[in-house]
Amino acid sequence: MYRIYGTRYEEGKMGLILEVKNLTKKFGGLTAVNDVNFEVHRGEILGLIGPNGAGKTTLFQLISGFEKPNSGSVRFNGVDITGKKPYQIVNLGMARTFQLVRSFRYLSLLDNISVACLSPRGKEAFGEIGIDAAASSILASVGLVDKARLPPVILPHGDLRKLEIGKALGTNPEFLLLDEPFSGLAHEERVGITKLIEQLTDEGVTIFMTGHVLHELMTLVPRVIAMHQGRLIAEGPPKEVANNRIVLEAYLGRGEEFA
Amino acid sequence: MVKLQFDWESAGNRFEALVNRFVKWAFSFRGGITLVCLGGLLCLPLTGREYLVTIVITAMILAIFAASWDLLAGFAGQTSFGHAAFFGISGYFTAALVKFYGVHWFVAIFIGAGCAVIFSLLIGIPCLRLKGPYLALGTLAFALILYNLFLTGDWLGGTEGISALPNIGDVFVVFYIVAAFMVASLIIMRAIVDSNLGTILKAIRDDEVGADATGINTTVYKLIAFMVSGLFAGIAGALFVLDTTAVNPALFQPLYSFYAIVMASIGGIATIYGSIVGAFLFRLTGELLRPLAAASLLIFATILILIIRFAEEGVMNPVLGHVQDLWDKIRGR
Amino acid sequence: MQRKVNIMFLEILIFGTIRGALLALLALGFSLVYGVGGLLNLAHGAFFLITAYILYWTIPLLAAIPALSYYPLLFGIAAVISLSCVVAIGAVTYLGLMKPLQKSHIGVVIVTFALAFFFEQFVSFAGDPKSHYIVPPVPNIVTILGVRVLQQQLVFVLGSVILVTLVTLFINRSKIGKSIRAVSQDSEAAKLVGINTDRVMMTSLMISALLVGFAAVLYAPGNYIAPRIGWGYLLLAFSVTIFGGMGSIPGSILGAYVMGYATSLTDYLINPSFSEIVPLIVILVMLLLRPQGLLGKKGLQ
Repeated sequence: MYRIYGTRYEEGKMGLILEVKNLTKKFGGLTAVNDVNFEVHRGEILGLIGPNGAGKTTLFQLISGFEKPNSGSVRFNGVDITGKKPYQIVNLGMARTFQLVRSFRYLSLLDNISVACLSPRGKEAFGEIGIDAAASSILASVGLVDKARLPPVILPHGDLRKLEIGKALGTNPEFLLLDEPFSGLAHEERVGITKLIEQLTDEGVTIFMTGHVLHELMTLVPRVIAMHQGRLIAEGPPKEVANNRIVLEAYLGRGEEFA
Repeated sequence: MVKLQFDWESAGNRFEALVNRFVKWAFSFRGGITLVCLGGLLCLPLTGREYLVTIVITAMILAIFAASWDLLAGFAGQTSFGHAAFFGISGYFTAALVKFYGVHWFVAIFIGAGCAVIFSLLIGIPCLRLKGPYLALGTLAFALILYNLFLTGDWLGGTEGISALPNIGDVFVVFYIVAAFMVASLIIMRAIVDSNLGTILKAIRDDEVGADATGINTTVYKLIAFMVSGLFAGIAGALFVLDTTAVNPALFQPLYSFYAIVMASIGGIATIYGSIVGAFLFRLTGELLRPLAAASLLIFATILILIIRFAEEGVMNPVLGHVQDLWDKIRGR
Repeated sequence: MQRKVNIMFLEILIFGTIRGALLALLALGFSLVYGVGGLLNLAHGAFFLITAYILYWTIPLLAAIPALSYYPLLFGIAAVISLSCVVAIGAVTYLGLMKPLQKSHIGVVIVTFALAFFFEQFVSFAGDPKSHYIVPPVPNIVTILGVRVLQQQLVFVLGSVILVTLVTLFINRSKIGKSIRAVSQDSEAAKLVGINTDRVMMTSLMISALLVGFAAVLYAPGNYIAPRIGWGYLLLAFSVTIFGGMGSIPGSILGAYVMGYATSLTDYLINPSFSEIVPLIVILVMLLLRPQGLLGKKGLQ
């Protein structure tokens, strides 16, 4: 693995919120995630890039409990969460969004978020102010409170992503996994999501997000790891990783000449 | 500091708030219609027409049964095709308790329903991993297992079942008892569905993976849904057996599960109150079709096919919607 | 004594094979329809029922034609008629009921459930609720290795093996079979390469109806038929497919014969009425321990 030093982060100072060691996942003959090792520091924003099929989503699935690894371990806040069920992991403080946006179709936006607030962790955090009040304020923080009583079907794509983030916030997470939050969005929508992410980081939420296109992460994310064919191939500030030879080869294919 | 005095003032305020809410509801369109229908229903025995009363009793019992299915299928997303299992189990236990152990019918109803709850766990746990069509067949298989067991086994009467249960009163008394159970059951089920628990169940129905990702332990909540549904199906089964003063393995037939689905579908899935409409329409149509005896079930099957095919929302909501529009027009809005 | 045990062993083997042949016909179609479109056809047992009844009704009608005095010939024509009917019914079921509701898998299940009732009531109404007996075309009793078997049953096993093999070959080798396999793996991708998924689904349903109709045509004669038998056959089909793996063709066939022999074993060694419960117990156990069946894929919905 090619390592580039000099990230914005003073390593070790903030503590590790996530430690992934030797994580491997095979689907039949295909090794989707191959001996991946990395760490996420509390409070940082970490980006994960890689071409399609690199294993980014599988990695997310493994960390959030939707898939069990063949080998390796995941530690969250020092606790081994390998093999735990998704809802258990959520209640420890890690929430995620999905690449293909999902919502509770027949519930109002407010209820969509209320569900998250009704999780054990959500109830603990928001029980005192009341579930409805908490859901309303989260809806407001993602900018959707004026449509609180409406169903998700009326929302444009960008707002659906905001709703998803809202649902994740309802569980009062310390650590947020965002799977391709910018994909399929128009420019203004991207700005909205970026603002939201910056807001969350300011409040101390650690963020780990994937992106397919590097430049949208460049300004937002101080540190990036890159995957290709299941392996981690580079780590460091986005500008340097983007110019890294191995990464370029991964995205563009081997032995290609560029004018 | 411990409050030693009962806080009359705040209790009084809360009561007043509740009464205000009720009055507001009573004067709204839906509330008004509900109260009128309820009133009409309760006055029925006064007409003295015993035959009609008997039919309505069955309709009310079936309404509870259909609503219990609706709760599980329409709100929790678990479409059960073996609901007759809960109906029958409770029926058998209630009958046995009343006949062989002299238990008072009121107590027997709850014990019978309790047994249905236990069975709902027994059936629910293996069915947890099943979704959609798989779940439908799995529950159907369970009901068929029970059907076979009670049909071929010697316990509790075999093919004959248990009969000649003591009467709990004359027809009119039974009417009011059943009516009370129906009103209570439906109000409770509606309250559950509107509560936080209901929101969680609806989330599981809409997107189980998503619910999992939002920290909800879907297994526990699905089982809760099964149990609540089983409880009310059990109450219906117990009442049914007490009303007909007999129980036999026929209660476990796929046909009875089918009835629940028809009634809930006609009234409108995911409405709870629609089950009343569905059950009444079902029972009354059954009476009207009686001269056609054999063809009646055929017609029902056809009706169900047509409804599922063309009118997924059922009857109650669209009709109420139209009537409300009409009413608004009349009032000149 | 040894001879008696030998005979019993042979009986278990032979009747197990007959049962396996029946289960294979029932399960193959059911599993196929599920594998291709994710649709559970609860009217599967009703297809068996309606085929048997059409057979039962057609035979006396055809008997009125003097040219058809040779019973096996008459039976054969009646069989062809009823098979054509059930295949047509399968097509109509798909077009009229399943296709419009394909977005809602549960809608399909409810509608096929209602259809099953419809057929049960129809048969009861058009005929009568009592059970009936169909005269088998080959009523002789044959003795194989000391075991007395209806010739009918031998024909049945032969027919089952032939048909199952034909269908399996068809799916694996023919062009239409390729489309079927493509749709079962990924219907979206299949659409993208121009496969008419509708036609494929309908074909699978028709094949399914053919298989189960064939079972009815050769198994029902010599047995009693009644309006309620559809459910039992549906349960058997479901049981075998759960056991062998939903959507897996080799799984269904393997599971069919394994269960056939298991049922036969319990019949002889334990209790005949106990063997009724065997399929149900299998369902329970499989659901609890291995929902994907013996050869099925994990995570099947």
